[in-house]
Amino acid sequence: MTPEAQYAKLRQSGHDRRVASRLWSFMRPHRRLITTGLLLLLVTSACRLIAPFLVKIAIDDHIEPGNLDGFPRLMMLFVAVSAAELLLRKLQMYTVDKAGQNALFDLRVALFSHMQKLSMRFFDRNKTGVLVGRVTTDIEALQELFSSGVVTILGDAVFLVSTLVILFWQNWQLTLVSLVIVPFLLLTTSLIRKRVRSAYEAMRSRISQMNGFLHENVTGMALIQIFRREELARSEFQPINDAVEESQLGAMKLETILSAAVELLGSLTTALILWYGGGVVLETLGADASELGVGSGLTIGALFLFVDYMGKFFRPLSDLSQKYTVLQNALTAGDRVFRLMDETDLVPEPSGDAVLPPTRGEIEFRDVTFRYDDGEAALSNMSWRLERGQSLAIVGDTGAGKTTVLKLLTRLYHLEEGGILLDGLDIREYPSRELRRRVGVVLQDVFLFNGTILENIRLGHPEITNERAAEIADRLHLGELFNRFPLGYNQLVTERGKNLSSGEKQLISFARVLATEPEILVMDEATSNVDTHTEALLQEAMRALMEDRTSIIIAHRLSTIQNVDRILVLRKGELAEEGTHEELMAQGGIYRRLFDLQGLTAV
Amino acid sequence: MRVLRHLGPYLKRYRWTYILGAIAIVLHVFLKVLIPHFLGVTIDELSESEQKDPDAVRSAIAWSAFSIVAAAVLGATIRTWSRLLVLGGSRRVVHDLRRDVFDRLLKLPPSFYVRNRTGEVMSRVVNDVRNVQGLMGPVYMYLAETAVMYAICVSMIASISPYLLLLGVAPFPLFIVAARRMAGKIQQGSKDAQEELAQLSSKVDESLSGHMVIQTLTLEEYDFERFRERAEEYRRKNLYVSQARASLAPLMLGLSAVSTIVILWVGGPMVVRGEISLGSFLALTFYLAMMAAPTGVLGFVISSLQRGAVSLGRLRELTETEVTLTEPDSPIAIEGRLGELRVEGLTVTYGSPELGVLGADEADPAEGEEFVDPGSRVVLDNLSFALKPGDTLAVVGQTGSGKTTLMRILARELEVERGQVSFGGVDVCDLGLFDLRGRIGYVPQETFLFSKTLADNVALGNPGASREEIQLAIESARLGKDLDQLPNGVDTLLGERGVNLSGGQRQRTALARVMLLDPDLMLLDDTLSAVDSHTAEEILDELEPMMAGRSTVIATHRLSTIRHANHILVLEGGKLVEEGTHTSLLKANGTYARLWRRQSEGDSA
Repeated sequence: MTPEAQYAKLRQSGHDRRVASRLWSFMRPHRRLITTGLLLLLVTSACRLIAPFLVKIAIDDHIEPGNLDGFPRLMMLFVAVSAAELLLRKLQMYTVDKAGQNALFDLRVALFSHMQKLSMRFFDRNKTGVLVGRVTTDIEALQELFSSGVVTILGDAVFLVSTLVILFWQNWQLTLVSLVIVPFLLLTTSLIRKRVRSAYEAMRSRISQMNGFLHENVTGMALIQIFRREELARSEFQPINDAVEESQLGAMKLETILSAAVELLGSLTTALILWYGGGVVLETLGADASELGVGSGLTIGALFLFVDYMGKFFRPLSDLSQKYTVLQNALTAGDRVFRLMDETDLVPEPSGDAVLPPTRGEIEFRDVTFRYDDGEAALSNMSWRLERGQSLAIVGDTGAGKTTVLKLLTRLYHLEEGGILLDGLDIREYPSRELRRRVGVVLQDVFLFNGTILENIRLGHPEITNERAAEIADRLHLGELFNRFPLGYNQLVTERGKNLSSGEKQLISFARVLATEPEILVMDEATSNVDTHTEALLQEAMRALMEDRTSIIIAHRLSTIQNVDRILVLRKGELAEEGTHEELMAQGGIYRRLFDLQGLTAV
Repeated sequence: MRVLRHLGPYLKRYRWTYILGAIAIVLHVFLKVLIPHFLGVTIDELSESEQKDPDAVRSAIAWSAFSIVAAAVLGATIRTWSRLLVLGGSRRVVHDLRRDVFDRLLKLPPSFYVRNRTGEVMSRVVNDVRNVQGLMGPVYMYLAETAVMYAICVSMIASISPYLLLLGVAPFPLFIVAARRMAGKIQQGSKDAQEELAQLSSKVDESLSGHMVIQTLTLEEYDFERFRERAEEYRRKNLYVSQARASLAPLMLGLSAVSTIVILWVGGPMVVRGEISLGSFLALTFYLAMMAAPTGVLGFVISSLQRGAVSLGRLRELTETEVTLTEPDSPIAIEGRLGELRVEGLTVTYGSPELGVLGADEADPAEGEEFVDPGSRVVLDNLSFALKPGDTLAVVGQTGSGKTTLMRILARELEVERGQVSFGGVDVCDLGLFDLRGRIGYVPQETFLFSKTLADNVALGNPGASREEIQLAIESARLGKDLDQLPNGVDTLLGERGVNLSGGQRQRTALARVMLLDPDLMLLDDTLSAVDSHTAEEILDELEPMMAGRSTVIATHRLSTIRHANHILVLEGGKLVEEGTHTSLLKANGTYARLWRRQSEGDSA
């Protein structure tokens, strides 16, 4: 091993210890359960050892010499020990599992809560699917520690050591002979298990590939048929199906060989014990009992004990490599989870010393410059001011920085250069909750929770009554749309609002913002296609929202913004033009060109 | 269990595999049972050694040990062989089964996929096939092994002492019933927990992808509570499984403990009285342990068996779903170009019969939550019109007026239920389906992109197209300027694992697909709704020469795109309310004129 590799290994082991100790910090609150579980484990392991020993006594002291005095008492003891093991084992398994479930519940909740606080920058860098995996798959891998019995490995160790002690005490030579096979067992299982694992990984990836193919083809089946690709699809599927079969056969072959090898090695040990131990028993029977010391000589009962114990000895040993794999997976998963918990990409909260001004509704951008992580300036040196009750539209091509204005104003990103003032105070001085209460936002992406339409309007604001929510909905003419549902506003919204059209969802998000009565409205206009009637309702609702309120509209279609007080035209993050619709049209610049391009004058 | 008969053809193909597998199982179990037998022989030699010559005893013991080694080696070999045969056989059966199911899916008409959600169909192909694999592999093997093990052990014990057999086996039925119940609980519980995990996962997904909305609306606490509830529920379901599992394990230990106690207590004195030998007495305890071991998993095996049988039935349901849109028995060949399209009395009703809905008789709890339109709904009501070759027809109407349904029927995606659709006087049902589809170019409103390159996606209906032809189609669909944004141009991988195109780009891809086809009839279903008006104009210009010489049907609610139509149909709620040319309809001052006024106002006000 090279020094570097050794160092890496050392560091790795320290690393694993760190993960384990942080995991322990989540288990600590449940240490009572854990201690109870471990104590029970010791007791059940002891019972597991005692039962065969009682059989040995029965053979040597009663059955073989033909002396039945005290035999029933021994049998009663046997019943008691077995019953205790059964009852306590149930309790022990449940206790350990419960401790694990509780600890991982805490971890999961803590992780989610931490992620909620992370800034948009973090979410720009990380794919949602991967993050979801942290909360689910990775924590499930930690769960495996408990359900696969890695946690109870301590019990296994105690069991193995006690077994050896008893066997050595019975006959140390035979014990050594019995252990001859053990290295082969460890070697075989660890060698084949590694290959079994990679074979299973290959199999899983092939299966998921196949499922992906099937999913895609089922989804696009109409296209396959109208474009007459059935034959092609069939021939594409064949190699995929074959590959799955082949990988399954491969994994199964290895698994079969492994289990056969373990069984074979077990039987060989039995043969070895009988052959060598039989000889010892024979000598012992012929010899005078007084000549034999502790650890030598062997009775028939003890021979039976060896066979029985070694059978029980093999199982935890052959599982060892599997448990090691589970442990490694869990530590890797734990590392990922804790690294996410350590993520510090938060939007800083103010110290809370600033006195918040009364709400007026004025916004000012002062020399605002902002870059995303890719380095390019999204906004550069932007300054403008909006008075109370005024309306402003921001237009520009995709990528001109329109949405960035919204994201900075609501502090989804932390601003470092320049300043944004709300009612005369820098927004960095506002606690983010207060800021976002003052600035109401309508986004393109409407987020609906499972619940009724009214609940989706009230969302997170218990102070808004259902009556008030319904009143607001009526004001935006939502009734016209939702009276098609038998329950009206009490209709349940299904998974992300599948039963609603995009226009209806937009209207709900309008109602949501209207219900919280923010002093400033920021709206990212939706580009989705809605029919003419809904479009009219949306326009109407927009007017209601903007009434007596400072408003900013991020506009994608120019037809909706011709009545605003002022229009900003952005180009590559800079303020290129500014003025009213008429002024900008007369100016004949970018705005004019955009307007003509949208074909608004053509029809 | 009668559904098992459906496996007939597959079993027949692999019958030797399964027969040989069964023989191997019998041999392996027999060899395995020999090991305690030789153990008993050794013990007997030892306990009776005082009356014998020590060397004879010694060689007898060596012989027994050697026999165990021989039985173990032979047993392990045969065991491997039996598993390879049976488990391997199950993989092969399932491979064939999957192929046949996929073949079936390719034949089922699009209307089947409208009625059955993708998830439902996928669950058949993935879960049900897997359950059948369990049935044909592990279940077969465990059941065979257990049966053989029982048979051999029972006869071995009976040869030692029928009395002890009766006592030792007595607790078995009780434990099998109990284990069966526990296994059922564990499996149901695990399934519930798994479903809860999926819910939890989609909750996290929702929260993270809605991060921006949640932060701006300060919904963190609200959302956190929702997550917590789910996580709590997941913990609760897991604990239920833990409890069931913790009850099953001691139950199985209990079986061997009870047997051992009975045998010891009763058998011990029998040895003392000389009724049985010590060796066979000890061998007997091993036989009972060998019988107890597979009994523990019997509960699981039985439920896997039942699940496999149910899955087999569900797959059967899939393969027995009537294929309503098939090639006619003796199709009339189409000569030359497609003739005049005539639609007469076309009526379509949705949601009436449960025909072809998978698992319609099963209670689906998820279904109840969803808003389902009660009763049937007429989507197209007695529609009739004609379209001469080379002409352009526009179909105008609000969302839900039946435009898309009409287009899908014309594209031969949906069956003609009532009324008639004909080309050149021949009913479409008599024309070759495959032939006809090759002559119709359908651009749906929303298209699906396969995980292939853009070029392959465009060449969907014409896999033999040259690069130049593909490039040309891409240019004509005004997709050329978007190529710069794609990392590898036309060779960029699209779809789930690749680049996601915008709505407008998808529509233009769908258009390019059809442009490559050179169809006789073009169907454009609101094709340019997500394309901005400027590009839409450009595409329409490009389409104009293509539309000349072939028939076109355009469905739209954007009236500015139908300036070239020879004839316009106005649909409302599935009914034809007006028809005529643009000018005549404006003059009539009806629905069309109203729509027209509203749209031109909305755009230029």
